[in-house]
Amino acid sequence: MSSDIDYKDAGSILAPLKNLRFFAREPVTEPLGPRPAAENYRGFHVNDWELCIGCSTCQKVCDNAAISMIHIPGLPNDPVKGVRDHRPAIDYGRCCWCGLCVDICPTGSISLTREYVHTCTEPELDSYFVLPDPNGMHKTHFPKGWSKTEQNDLLDHDRQPMAEMAPEARIGDFAEIVAGYTDQQALLEASRCVQCGMCHDACPTQMHAPDYIRAIWQGNVELAVEEIYRTNPFAHVCGRVCTHKCEDACSIGRRGTPVAIRWLKRYAMDALAPAKVKKIAAKGKSRKKSGRKIAIVGAGPAGMTAAFDLIKQGHAVTVFEALDQAGGMTRYGIPYYRLPSESLQRDIDIIVSLGVEMRYRTRVGVDVSMAELEQEYDAVVLALGLQLGRSTRIPGSDHVQVRAAVDLLRRIAAGESLAVPDKVVVIGGGNVAMDIARTLARLQKQQHGVVGMTVCALEDFAHFLADPEEVRESGEEGIEIIDARGPRHCVVNDDGTLGGLCTWKVLSIFDEQHRFAPKFDESDERIHEAGMVVESIGQMTDTGLLGDELTEALEWNRGRMKVDAFGRTSLPWLWAAGDCVNGPDVVHAVADGHRVATSINEYLTQEVAA
Amino acid sequence: MRPENYQAQSHPPSHEYELNFGPNHPGIEGNYALQVRLHGDTVVSAHADGGYLHRGFEKLMEGRLWIQNIALVPRICVPDPVPMEVCYSLAIEDISGLQVPERAKWLRVLQLELSRIAAHLFYFGGHAATTGMYSPSFWGVADRDLILDRFEELSGGRVYHIFNIPGGVRRDIPEGFLGRVSALLDYLEARLPEYDDLLFRNQVFVRRSKGVGVIDQQQALAWGVTGPNLRATGLGFDVRRDDPYLIYNQLDFEIPTEDSGCCWARTLVRRSELQQSIRICRQVIAALPDIGGPVRAPIPNPLAWNVPVGESYTRVESSKGELAYYVLSTGGEKPYRVHVRGPSAMHAVQVLEKMVTGGRLEDVAQIMFSLDACPPEVDR
Amino acid sequence: MNGEVGRPISRLLADVDGARCERKGDRRVRIDATPENLPAVLELLKGRAGYLHLSAITCIDWMDDGEFELIYHLWSYEDRNLVSAHIRIPREPGVYLSVYDLFEPAGFFERDIHEMYGVFFEGSPDQEKFILTEWNGPPPMRKDFDAEGWVQGTFQWEDYRPEWLQEIEEKGGGIAIKPEQARANTRKIRGWKQ
Repeated sequence: MSSDIDYKDAGSILAPLKNLRFFAREPVTEPLGPRPAAENYRGFHVNDWELCIGCSTCQKVCDNAAISMIHIPGLPNDPVKGVRDHRPAIDYGRCCWCGLCVDICPTGSISLTREYVHTCTEPELDSYFVLPDPNGMHKTHFPKGWSKTEQNDLLDHDRQPMAEMAPEARIGDFAEIVAGYTDQQALLEASRCVQCGMCHDACPTQMHAPDYIRAIWQGNVELAVEEIYRTNPFAHVCGRVCTHKCEDACSIGRRGTPVAIRWLKRYAMDALAPAKVKKIAAKGKSRKKSGRKIAIVGAGPAGMTAAFDLIKQGHAVTVFEALDQAGGMTRYGIPYYRLPSESLQRDIDIIVSLGVEMRYRTRVGVDVSMAELEQEYDAVVLALGLQLGRSTRIPGSDHVQVRAAVDLLRRIAAGESLAVPDKVVVIGGGNVAMDIARTLARLQKQQHGVVGMTVCALEDFAHFLADPEEVRESGEEGIEIIDARGPRHCVVNDDGTLGGLCTWKVLSIFDEQHRFAPKFDESDERIHEAGMVVESIGQMTDTGLLGDELTEALEWNRGRMKVDAFGRTSLPWLWAAGDCVNGPDVVHAVADGHRVATSINEYLTQEVAA
Repeated sequence: MRPENYQAQSHPPSHEYELNFGPNHPGIEGNYALQVRLHGDTVVSAHADGGYLHRGFEKLMEGRLWIQNIALVPRICVPDPVPMEVCYSLAIEDISGLQVPERAKWLRVLQLELSRIAAHLFYFGGHAATTGMYSPSFWGVADRDLILDRFEELSGGRVYHIFNIPGGVRRDIPEGFLGRVSALLDYLEARLPEYDDLLFRNQVFVRRSKGVGVIDQQQALAWGVTGPNLRATGLGFDVRRDDPYLIYNQLDFEIPTEDSGCCWARTLVRRSELQQSIRICRQVIAALPDIGGPVRAPIPNPLAWNVPVGESYTRVESSKGELAYYVLSTGGEKPYRVHVRGPSAMHAVQVLEKMVTGGRLEDVAQIMFSLDACPPEVDR
Repeated sequence: MNGEVGRPISRLLADVDGARCERKGDRRVRIDATPENLPAVLELLKGRAGYLHLSAITCIDWMDDGEFELIYHLWSYEDRNLVSAHIRIPREPGVYLSVYDLFEPAGFFERDIHEMYGVFFEGSPDQEKFILTEWNGPPPMRKDFDAEGWVQGTFQWEDYRPEWLQEIEEKGGGIAIKPEQARANTRKIRGWKQ
């Protein structure tokens, strides 16, 4: 195809007159003065400081290295909530206005505006370095230009779904509910991470989650496990039942579901052969023996973590455990379907394999006294845990069929057989209440074929204590959860058998001074029929083993041993760690184990130097 | 070469002299230089000198994440940036098997053709200016600006759109956008006869450009000439039709050709291409409302994105000719190698040197402009 | 024309020792040749199959293998097919034959590769510097040349001290993470935390 222009046609002599028509046209020149930019314009930045969490993801995606993170004292800085007092500042000498910072921002705080004019003389070059706030570059209002929409959002907000057993299948036995990620799922889930490190800051034991997530993404499970073992020898356990503070702080969770950090840890631990894990765990173990001896009372996560650290530092460690096996509440408090004992045993085996001396079925205070420990060892750690169930002390709670949740869980975990009535009521709304309800429900299903389980919680659903997924899964398994019910008394039948539990509707739990003072609606009374009532309203430590003399010598704080920031009690040779100090939480106990181990190591080495 | 590094050399007496054409010269396109050796007004030999716009893009890209490079690529050719973005994206999509949504493909074509129109308008202005006529350059720039307005509305940037990313485009069109583009196309089409009066039937231009800088088809093929310059020698080759990408095989358009292979023919081919591009844009505007769905395939988190091992040699037809990207991934989060084959790499160096040799000094600028050589593409 | 283009090429190459061809896409064929037989392969493609257009020559530095890979991208206007012929040559001394006699565009690409990678093409008409006229360092596209490191060592970061920053510094704050510490593209695996 050729053009049809007749170039030889020079036109008539009057043709130039045609050009007169241009006098009637609008000029194409832009009017003087500011020209309003388009709605999507990529001009100077604004940043909503209320939304911004200082995660520095914008800085990572910036291809021109134009963004510096500025530490601004006075802004909220809360690792647990996933908020840092950092805000991005932009070097307009480098910025190319591509807008990738906007597209990737996990919170959606940063946007570009329709403002685009800035100029200065050379001495004012500093004005090119700008800390964007909501007011814009020159503190004059310009509407937003390029900002976050669903289309240009570059982050994946949806978590890889975790395969679970169906409720009908899982209620019949104690098999582990959650299947764990496949290689492909783990890789995809790990790829969602933006490496902001909020999780690291939020974790009680400061796990290097961004590093192991990235290693998983690179397909390097061995490196991932190495990163995990830098801070956590209870990784099989934490990969399953950690309270995952990290995920609450995850910046992806601002607008989507947080990265499944806990499941990724579990994936890495399960994917690597135990022999290799053992090798990694032993890395950095001191070859020199210090000649110092340490006694640890209690083989739970805190005690075993302290043992892990101290044995690697070259000390001789002996752990005293009253029960048959190690693990503490993770073995005797967490049901099998959430944490199979084989997984726990892997963690324990690795720690023991480093050379820790275990003395099972040795109850301190009975088989060996604290005084003997003080005599024989250079330092003693009390990692006693919380194993005594608290009682509501309501009328009738002394009935033989009114039981403590922790006690039942321990018996079931130890393999004792237990006859469960066809109707059971659990008092409590925490995770332990869920654990015992779901455990007993499984036994009911096995023994009676049906589930007859009611949970009466003091809190309403808006302020519930147990994890939402626990509540959801309990519901799926046929457990009835009634919120805002306060126990009044246990109904005892004329023949002496237990008839059920009487509850009142809760109006409020705390008074104006935020003290525990529940108010009830007496007119709303209900009787929950039950052959067994289980109390699950909290646990305490059995401090009887300390003996009167030691109890007297120690300083106490509201029933708990008083310790300093490093877990040391008021006595120089005695440390305390774990749930008996902090309240129940696995990962906190691990962190505590590290803390006391560091403190003890310092104490012992200083002693040598002196 | 920087001025401070220039050293005058004394030569034996001769009738020949050297003229530095650029890097700062109204007759040179962009930052580029041509050292011509003259005998009287006749060019004896010519030597292209590039590097004034070298930014090391290929090296930079090897050090940046896949996503970060989308901000770099449009800078390789300033007047016609969209083909760069699309070609880079297509290469990555080819390697990683990303399925681009239908709507995104049509939107890319709309941008490509608008960008082609803008580049050609710019080109007419430049070419006319080398023959001493400045009105077409003002017209061309003013009309191109109207297209940039639409790009600004679409992508938020007037010149560097950074709108195409691997997987599709960054967001959907704004409300009422197609209507405004449609009105713009009507306006541009109505302007074409005025351009004809001003330039293509203007005897000053016709006589200056006709028969100048002739290249025949054999030579063009041997020298690696592509695009409108090749079509001006009578070979109707167009990557859009002959190595189709996106949805060009579903569109109805013609490939304009001319036979004479001179400056005039090259300009005329582009003049006819304007009409074809307007035609394509209209087809896109008619089709787009019925093509729903997303505008981007889901892509991995850009901070954790390993493009699988693979290579791709992807070509598109830019306003200047055959534009190709060779992209090689070794499975990492950055490209191992990106090679940009700009059409001007041929046109602005070897072809230009050969074409001006034997010609006259006053035609040097015109020949360079008629080839639409784009120095930033050569330097990268 | 669009049919089985791969087959004629493989038939064409049947006589050439050590050249393998593989169809990669609708209009893409990959040929793996050797430095010895590449000129013959190109000559056959041009002379007997109509591959007149040398679209580009790409060089890749496989530093760890001690090799350069050269890729000749050829297009046939008749077959509408693109053939990429790959060869690998030793990184040292990095010398290969010019194909300028067959394809004139090779002149530019060979000059470019010579400048950027230091590969010398015997018989190429002009391997003078073109882009990096005033550069005396190593060929910059080689993988062992650290461009970013060179930039950091040559140029200074602008040291801004705007008032707002001084105020924040007085309160005990200031720049917490500099851009060069956090850039995703230069980050090592543990780089997320300073």
